[in-house]
Amino acid sequence: MTIEELKELKANKTVDARGTACPGPLLEAKKTIGTIQAGDIMEVLSADEGSKVDIPKWCTKQGHEYLGTIEESGYFKIFLKKK
Amino acid sequence: MEDNAIMERKKMCLALFSGSLDKLTAAGVILSGAAADDMDVDVYVLLQGARAFKKEIGDNLEQLSMAENANLKKEFIESLSRLKVKTWIEFFREAKSLTNVKIHICGLAGKIWGGEKLEDFVDLADDICGINAYITSAQEADIHLFI
Repeated sequence: MTIEELKELKANKTVDARGTACPGPLLEAKKTIGTIQAGDIMEVLSADEGSKVDIPKWCTKQGHEYLGTIEESGYFKIFLKKK
Repeated sequence: MEDNAIMERKKMCLALFSGSLDKLTAAGVILSGAAADDMDVDVYVLLQGARAFKKEIGDNLEQLSMAENANLKKEFIESLSRLKVKTWIEFFREAKSLTNVKIHICGLAGKIWGGEKLEDFVDLADDICGINAYITSAQEADIHLFI
């Protein structure tokens, strides 16, 4: 997905994990993805530099689809689609 | 997700020898990673680790030392607090709530620190075990760590 397409995306669920350091955002993502429906889009907000590598890798390994990341000022928006 | 072959559960065996605050925190972060990946985890709590698991120790930071840079303990604790990092016990508890984590206390280690029964340890401990349980788990694990 291009950045423009990502910006147009409406997430079904937002996980704001900006207040925590690793492994906080990953665990928040893990907990929340269990609560949404297959096909739903989840965005994870993280201010942790490691998350932008960690969460896409975890997402793919778990069988979900990683859609892309937008870098905002001081944090990342990481988009996932639950399978 | 049923059609996804990579969802097969992997096993981790963690030998937790250390009872120091920094290493317990590292173990907690690693357990969190294992939990995010839905791994089955066996933690074998050995010598110094068993002391930290005693009910009266646990999250009592006064009672825990650092494995390295002992002079920086205060700074370490302040940083954890500022970064909103969980305490080591909270990491272990959360990992247990998310995946299959079993915590086994080495019988000998328990006795060394005056812990004979499961009730002598923090409520996260599942059982008191012998060394064969650890070796068997290590033989079967996909990941085996000694901390």
